[in-house]
Amino acid sequence: MSTIKEYLTEDHGRCDELFAAMEDVASKSIESAKDAYKAFADATERHFQMEERVMFLEFERKTGMTQGPTAIMRHEHTQMRNLLQEMAKAIEEKNKDKFFGNSETLMILMQQHNMKEEQMLYTMAQQHLSADSNRIVDMMQSLIVQ
Amino acid sequence: MDFDGLSVDQAPPLSAPIRFFVTAPLFGILAGILMLLSDPQSLMNRFSPETIVVAHAMAIGAFGFIMLGAMTQMLPVLAGVKIAKVDLVTKISHALLVAGTLFMIFGMYNSVSKLTLAASVLLGAGFLIMIVSMLLAFRGVVHVTASVRAMITSLVFAFIIVLMGMHLLSSYGIGKFSSHHLLFANIHSVWATFGFAGVLIIGAAFHVLPMFYVAPRFKKFCKQKVVWLITIGLILWLLLNIFADSYATIAKIWVAMFFWAFATTVFLKLNARRRPVSDATVWYWRSAAIFMTLGTFSWVINDFYDTQYIVIVSVLIGGGFIFSIMQGMLYKIVPFLIWFHLNAKGYMSIPTMNDMIDKKMSKVQFVLYIVSLVGFVISFFIPSLLAIFAITFIVSMAILEYNIISPILIYAKTIKTKPEFDMSAFSMGVEGKI
Repeated sequence: MSTIKEYLTEDHGRCDELFAAMEDVASKSIESAKDAYKAFADATERHFQMEERVMFLEFERKTGMTQGPTAIMRHEHTQMRNLLQEMAKAIEEKNKDKFFGNSETLMILMQQHNMKEEQMLYTMAQQHLSADSNRIVDMMQSLIVQ
Repeated sequence: MDFDGLSVDQAPPLSAPIRFFVTAPLFGILAGILMLLSDPQSLMNRFSPETIVVAHAMAIGAFGFIMLGAMTQMLPVLAGVKIAKVDLVTKISHALLVAGTLFMIFGMYNSVSKLTLAASVLLGAGFLIMIVSMLLAFRGVVHVTASVRAMITSLVFAFIIVLMGMHLLSSYGIGKFSSHHLLFANIHSVWATFGFAGVLIIGAAFHVLPMFYVAPRFKKFCKQKVVWLITIGLILWLLLNIFADSYATIAKIWVAMFFWAFATTVFLKLNARRRPVSDATVWYWRSAAIFMTLGTFSWVINDFYDTQYIVIVSVLIGGGFIFSIMQGMLYKIVPFLIWFHLNAKGYMSIPTMNDMIDKKMSKVQFVLYIVSLVGFVISFFIPSLLAIFAITFIVSMAILEYNIISPILIYAKTIKTKPEFDMSAFSMGVEGKI
């Protein structure tokens, strides 16, 4: 079974692929980007919730840090959710410039967010939660998105 | 467990990187003006004061400044560490480096030994404050990746070349040159180009290309070994230069081969990228790969022509590779930082990154820059043409400055007019103080 770090890092990769596929469709025709957008947005929301509702909670419980890195990551999730909403609006409005303006911003925000997680938070989480790693990955895999 | 190193909210204040970025094109403009004022013939000689001055207006003032600014931002993201007192450190270092570069330019150009000597001290202090602060910050790194190793290696090279540079510059100041002066100058320039800038770019590319363009990842071999192999090549090159200089070309081929391979890899990865976007940053990555390919070949071939084409090699590698990548990065990092800092302050009705820099202006700037580079190479053979390309270069630098300042003006205007202040960021269950 993957470790927490491997599992979530691979999930970043999956989201990136869906992001690229979404942009690819949108660059040809913004009207037809709805499904690809939904696939990306759903995968991203699922990833956020796997962290917010499972991994972050376990990390906070174990380390006692609720005001630290997980709080910042949650804040960045909010920033990304807002950009995702803007992209959905842009598709509704068939506004390609607005869509790509927001997708570019999201991409950079997302990647520097992912780097921080992969670089620090996941490494720390793996160290602290190694004994419960399988259980936590199981919980994340079986999560039902709210 | 010590959590001091694990703070994800480590973005330095906006002013820390921006002050370096805004200054860089101004030194580019100054370099262009110096080219106009100099005798084109003397610029074709690598060791003339005019050439040294123009080269350093670019190497320190333009790309050095962008690299330092970018590193203040990269350290927290790529390495998870922050520079202690980053605002103060960047303020002092920036002021020392601006003064030092200007002193060096005017001191050497007009043969004012006191200015040149002062420049040596100011530049040394300005660089070392930043380099040492960054090396100290790396002590807190939690997870050592290929990029982290590359950044540390690059900073060690930077440390050495700064000390060598201080020695070389003070030699001009006092007018006494050691018998090793030319050898030192050679090591200084090669290690600065490949050891400091080259390794830093390679280290950043490991992350940047796969992540931002959804391009195929670099092979494990590349990430783990290439920086070491280049470092070994550069050390070998130094030893051969000292003890058996007729064999130094072998080490040069060694180093050149890896940079050529890197340039080719960049081009192929961009071809295979999954994101369809094509913008100034992608054009600059591509031009950098092409110029680096030409640069590595001409660097090696130059050895067989008694190094008479070294100025062309410098234009291809310094201007074509290093500065291309730096400019490409500015087109992404500046709008993102503006967006990020405004968003973090709670402003939601702000332009997207793509609305901050006029795409047409970035295209004009890119084309003028490439024309200037090609023009510089042509001018080596037809010096009378240099003035034309110095002017296209000055214009491209002026447009670059405009393109960087545009997002900053948006920042200033937003802060001043305070548009809709969206509190939604605080309604999503964010815990604690952000």
